Amino acid sequence: MSLIPIASLSQGTYIDENALQPAQVNTYWNWQDVHRADQYLYHLEGLRDRNSTSEERAQFIRNELANLGLRAATQNYTFTASSGLLSGVNAYAIMASPRTPSSEAMVISATWRSEVGKEPYNLRGISIVLALAAFLKNYSLWAKDIIFVIGDGYLDGMQAWLNAYHGTIPPNLETSLLEYTSGVIWTALNIDYSGHSFSHLGVFFEGLNGRLPNQDLINSVRLISHYTGGVPFIVYDHLEPNDFPDRWQTTSILANAPDFIRQSPQLQDFEYRAKNIVRHINYQARGKPSGAHGLYHKFRIDAITLFAVPATGPHGFLALGRIVESALRTTNNLLERLHASFFFYLFTSPGTFMKIGKFLPSAVLVSAAMMISGLGDWVNAGWLHEAVTENDREEAAAGGPSSKIQGKKMVRWRMRRRPLLRPIFTVLGTHVMGLLAFNLMRSPIFVENHLAASLLLFGALTILPFVFASLPDRTPEVAPFSLLLKSFNLCLASIVISTTSLLNFSLAAILAITLAVPLMYSSCSRSSPPRIVSLAKYVTYSFLAWGWLFLRDEVKQAIWNWEVLGIWFAPFICIVYGPLVTQAGVVSLQP
Amino acid sequence: MRWGTIFFALCLSASSESVTSYTNNVPPGESGERYDEDLFIRPLLDGRVATTFTFTTDLLGNVSRQSESSGQHYTLFPLTLGQILREYSIAELHLTLNSGKWNYDHWGYPDDPSVGTGAELWAWMADGPSSTIDERWTGLRNALAGLFCASLGSLDTRHTSSPSTVFPISFSSSIPHGLRYANLPSENVCTENLTPFVKLLPCKSRAGLATLLNPQRIFDADWHGLSIHLRSTEVGTELKLGVQAVFDPVRLSGGRRRDWSFRLLFDRIIHDSCLVATSSVVRVQIPDSGSHTLSPASVVDDNLTAMYNLMTQAPLDVSMSWPHEHTFQYPHVHESRLTPLSIQRTLHGSSQIHGHLFIALTNNGHHDIVVGYFENLPALVTLWMHTMEIKVDGTERNELISNVSYRPHQVLANGQKSPSTFQAILTVPASSTLHLSMEISRAFLKYTEHPPDAMRGWDLPPAILFPVCEPAMGICGMQNTSAGMRDRMYTPTLLIDLPTPDFSMPYNVIIFSCTLITLIFGSIFNLLTRTWVIVRVED
Amino acid sequence: MESPLFLPTLAACRLLLAWVQLPVLDGLQLDHQLTSPLTSYFRLKEGLWLYHHGVDPYLGGVLKHSPLFLSLFSTVSPGRVAWALSDIVGAWALVRIWHSRQQLGQSRRDGLVGAAYLLNPYILLPSLASSTSTFENAVVLLTLMFAAEGRPSPALLALALSIHLSLSTSLLLVPVLMLLVTSPTSRLASPRPFGGSYWMVFKYASEFVVYWSVLVCAASIMAGGVWNWMHESWGASLILPDLTPNPGLWWYFFTEMFDHFRPFFLMVFSTHLAIYIMPVCIKFQHDALYAAFLLLGILGTFKPYLTLADPGLFLSMFAVFPEIYPYLRHAVVTALLHAHASLLLPLFHALWVIEGRGNANFYYAASLVMGVAGGAGIVDACFAGMRIAIGNGSEAERGKWEVVQQ
Repeated sequence: MSLIPIASLSQGTYIDENALQPAQVNTYWNWQDVHRADQYLYHLEGLRDRNSTSEERAQFIRNELANLGLRAATQNYTFTASSGLLSGVNAYAIMASPRTPSSEAMVISATWRSEVGKEPYNLRGISIVLALAAFLKNYSLWAKDIIFVIGDGYLDGMQAWLNAYHGTIPPNLETSLLEYTSGVIWTALNIDYSGHSFSHLGVFFEGLNGRLPNQDLINSVRLISHYTGGVPFIVYDHLEPNDFPDRWQTTSILANAPDFIRQSPQLQDFEYRAKNIVRHINYQARGKPSGAHGLYHKFRIDAITLFAVPATGPHGFLALGRIVESALRTTNNLLERLHASFFFYLFTSPGTFMKIGKFLPSAVLVSAAMMISGLGDWVNAGWLHEAVTENDREEAAAGGPSSKIQGKKMVRWRMRRRPLLRPIFTVLGTHVMGLLAFNLMRSPIFVENHLAASLLLFGALTILPFVFASLPDRTPEVAPFSLLLKSFNLCLASIVISTTSLLNFSLAAILAITLAVPLMYSSCSRSSPPRIVSLAKYVTYSFLAWGWLFLRDEVKQAIWNWEVLGIWFAPFICIVYGPLVTQAGVVSLQP
Repeated sequence: MRWGTIFFALCLSASSESVTSYTNNVPPGESGERYDEDLFIRPLLDGRVATTFTFTTDLLGNVSRQSESSGQHYTLFPLTLGQILREYSIAELHLTLNSGKWNYDHWGYPDDPSVGTGAELWAWMADGPSSTIDERWTGLRNALAGLFCASLGSLDTRHTSSPSTVFPISFSSSIPHGLRYANLPSENVCTENLTPFVKLLPCKSRAGLATLLNPQRIFDADWHGLSIHLRSTEVGTELKLGVQAVFDPVRLSGGRRRDWSFRLLFDRIIHDSCLVATSSVVRVQIPDSGSHTLSPASVVDDNLTAMYNLMTQAPLDVSMSWPHEHTFQYPHVHESRLTPLSIQRTLHGSSQIHGHLFIALTNNGHHDIVVGYFENLPALVTLWMHTMEIKVDGTERNELISNVSYRPHQVLANGQKSPSTFQAILTVPASSTLHLSMEISRAFLKYTEHPPDAMRGWDLPPAILFPVCEPAMGICGMQNTSAGMRDRMYTPTLLIDLPTPDFSMPYNVIIFSCTLITLIFGSIFNLLTRTWVIVRVED
Repeated sequence: MESPLFLPTLAACRLLLAWVQLPVLDGLQLDHQLTSPLTSYFRLKEGLWLYHHGVDPYLGGVLKHSPLFLSLFSTVSPGRVAWALSDIVGAWALVRIWHSRQQLGQSRRDGLVGAAYLLNPYILLPSLASSTSTFENAVVLLTLMFAAEGRPSPALLALALSIHLSLSTSLLLVPVLMLLVTSPTSRLASPRPFGGSYWMVFKYASEFVVYWSVLVCAASIMAGGVWNWMHESWGASLILPDLTPNPGLWWYFFTEMFDHFRPFFLMVFSTHLAIYIMPVCIKFQHDALYAAFLLLGILGTFKPYLTLADPGLFLSMFAVFPEIYPYLRHAVVTALLHAHASLLLPLFHALWVIEGRGNANFYYAASLVMGVAGGAGIVDACFAGMRIAIGNGSEAERGKWEVVQQ
């Protein structure tokens, strides 16, 4: 798994869809439009400085868009989450492209807040969307409607707008259907330009529950950024090591290493790629979108966020406008939805990526190892393996059930029963427990007194499994409960890892690391350890399984993500991960 | 047997002779022809300009619909259409090829109501014994496809239905007529359709109003469409060829001004009039607000329409400008909805298998509107009628729908599936929005049935809202222009993407599936047929 | 589990579940794993709507259910209780089969046998999804129950009904007839030639034909005196007009099939199902119930429009044959395959049609895993059913002898 960042395993990116034709057009965006964007920015800064309400901001944006002759409207929304209400107002406009039946559309969006850069408000992003609206409507070459959306908040506004657009309003969202709609949306660009100027254009692409957009979109924008905008293109806001060698060397973890290591290009490259992958895994494993674009993915819309990496220069509205214009022209060329299984990849650097066949085996191998070990335990559980003592030998000679090997060693194999019901109930019981715990965590009482509640819950989750672990069974005719449970546990974990590996590789990779070791070594020795040691081990397992309960902010965020955005991470941890580790704990309790 | 067939055929042809001969009561020699042309220009509130060209040819006296009869002599009426008319016994024919979405809210009712996106064809044909209506329909489709270079041939049984209440016949006749209706939303209109269209005009595009039909400009317009309307009237046959286009002078001027002129819109002016035309008129609707200037000056009648007679005023370049307006200010939308109903039709849901068809009808007036609703959906989509919901302001109001008639799609003899049709009468309460929603499923097709670019999906034809007569109130929607609907309205088309199989895999699938089946089959038969033996294991 | 109250409690819980409103249940109704066009309650409701609005419900290719369902559901509108009751009847029938196989009144395993049906997720989930396969399964179990208890007329009536509801069940005709003239007790360990009288078989077969014809006529009368329901409901499983995905092997094969080979392969696939009847019945002539069990396994793997309820019935019936457990070669592997398949199917389905990042091949791969799991189950059951006849011998012999097939 640690080999993934090695450069030679990645391959160069390419464009799969022939219709895209990136960076093949002349762009018309010029200083006049930049001036218009500056004017919008001036007004928006005024709104920000006045601390205006969501309603005022949305009305301003709506009016500006309506003045352009577009069909513009606002949308009020309120989310009800266990942590409280969240409301805001979005503004959007639809540019009906001439000559088309309005059955296809593309989206340019910006959200009011930005979370990546230092600046909290994405004012420049919004200004450029407004200026683009004024600019794009003067051309008749659009084959698809263009929708301009300014989402309130960071993710919530966009989530509300998308749900209303697609008519899939969940029960905890209060909003009306949109006044204006257009056709099917295939691609969307989200713009995050919060700084003053920018030096690089970064791409954020991870979506909800680890869904990635079609790679063609990223690759096209990369080409456009290079050839049309003349802006270097990077993954996230990670500058490439050779861009600013000095800055890189101070931030690198190799900064204190000897010179020859620090300046080795291979190692620098390795570190850069590793950094990208770690960031990717951090987003994807948690199922958290890395920007507002991630919310589109749920509706099968391929979307990315273009992040203008803050710097003192040299680029501004001119370059970004050109890039967005050219990118829209490219997606405008699309004859069909992006497809061709270009959805599974790992970006190691802007120009290179890994195909699924290269990285998948790393998780699947772990899963296979667990499966084999689980099956091995199952077989072991079926046979009793005893070194034959002298006394037994006579008995064996008298026709006892034994298999004789002539010579020094005597091994006797005996079949034994494998009672299935108890391990099955233990497995089911722990998962049900996880489900209950998850529902408890969503109750308002839990949210209000987090520390006490999580202590109680943790205690309950630690003590309850003792029900399953009570009576020890040492009859030789029956397979030990712990061995059977371990075998079940390993097989189950293996299935979970191998099935998630395709859906969300990062999650599978994290699971492979966090589950494999504890589960494999849950009952290591044949000799029964002292009671206190096994208890200590159990408590460790319990901490592994449920210790995160004490991370107040994480838990709150994960629950909010589930309730508002529908991210499966929180329920997954509660219902799958926690119980699996608890089962391993129960195994370790057994003598 | 063979003689019998021939005798039968003879009888048939004899009877068809007698059926159709009644139309021959006016000898062809006595029929006169008349050609009128008209251009109506309507500046719209959002700065756009709607232009409607109408070229009307009246054939006085009835045209013979018997193909075997003597030759046809027309001076103005296009021969090719006349032949089609006779060959397929057509009483009424409407063909439109449109591109774009008609924005009823901003543009009001179009001058020609047929503004559905794509190709739309409907015809009333006499049900003669010599050939069935379906045979005639097939022939008509193919003939028109050849004539207009459009893919009307694919308007086959998968798209054809017969909604006679939506498209009533415009004259009464003693012999039975049958209606066939089909639409093809993905058909684009372009120059190759305009060229044969212009050829049907007596002056082609050399003189008269048709000079303005500059393809480069017409097909750059926000909305444009060609139409052919052929009707039998009391006195003969009327052929109306129409071109509608909505231009955006604001866009043409770089986002600033809404001034327009022939030169600006069409890049041409009219030099000569068409000499064979009885009348040739340009009419300009004068907007009721704003200080505009119109040149050349003209008499404005009470309907606020300026008239120019091309016969006397050629060459002509009409232009209208707003000299006091530096930059055009768009009006605010909410106050200016020009039609009594606003329509929204969308597909809800994001999955590829199931979704909701959602229709929102907003009544902008202060009276209830009774309106007919018609859907003609290809078999790709299954409507689930039992999930139909009608809501006004979130409360269910099932009493607002009546006369529901639904015909599910059917497998026809040729293996194709006919479209499903849904028709109902809706009452939209005053100043409120009616939501009609139905669940739909998308079909899983064989891999050979998918079109190229399968991931794009399929276009669903527009639904049609049509005025209905309301016997209870003693009025028909047609006449009651104040409260009801004046004319047919078309909803936007929809794009629906079906789940696709993999197109490169047929061999792999056959191999994998067969291998698995054989493996299991082999194992079982292996077990069942071989005898059991006990073998001593050697150490 | 061994307490006599266990089963009633379980049944009560199942009934209770019918009253609970869970938000997830609405989503289940349209799930392709749980309902197929032939068993979807959603389509049945559409058929009812059409029927009530004077449109021939079999016109649009929407309704593929038997007219009996149509008339039943148009007269009474059963809630989800009907599905719960049907599940309970199925479980009861399975317990009765177990009793007659053991020739006992009560036994300690009753609870286990009942639970194997009621708690089987493959049975429970389709039932919660209101799939009519729940009723079909219950009728199949009733058929086997009556046949095992030696009550020919009810058994043949139930068989006629189940064949009427789902044509593929006709595979069971021969073993049920055999079961009627022999005893249901386990003779796997002591095979002997078929002992029933052929004359009786013939008599019962004629009786079956009478019941079946009556049902067909009744259905046609209910459908308004027309026969097109036959083409729509039975024809569907022969000519596969609807290519909605399911966990079975047919749909993708015929989606990808070249048009001119389609009729040929439809014939091959249909015949393939029937090909198993005679060999299985001949080999297991001493134990017709076991033959029926194996044929249910075949159906649960190769049926057109397979849903999870079909392999579910096969897996639940394992509970009736505890004597073969020691001879199963790879029960765990089969179980793991099923676990993989049942996780992969919904996930890959979502990946394809909901998230749009996978394609149909993903789901097809998952359905192949399901096929392998089903196949492994049948092959293992088939092996164990014959291997038991030889026995394990005494412990002392172990290691010296190996049983193989020549």
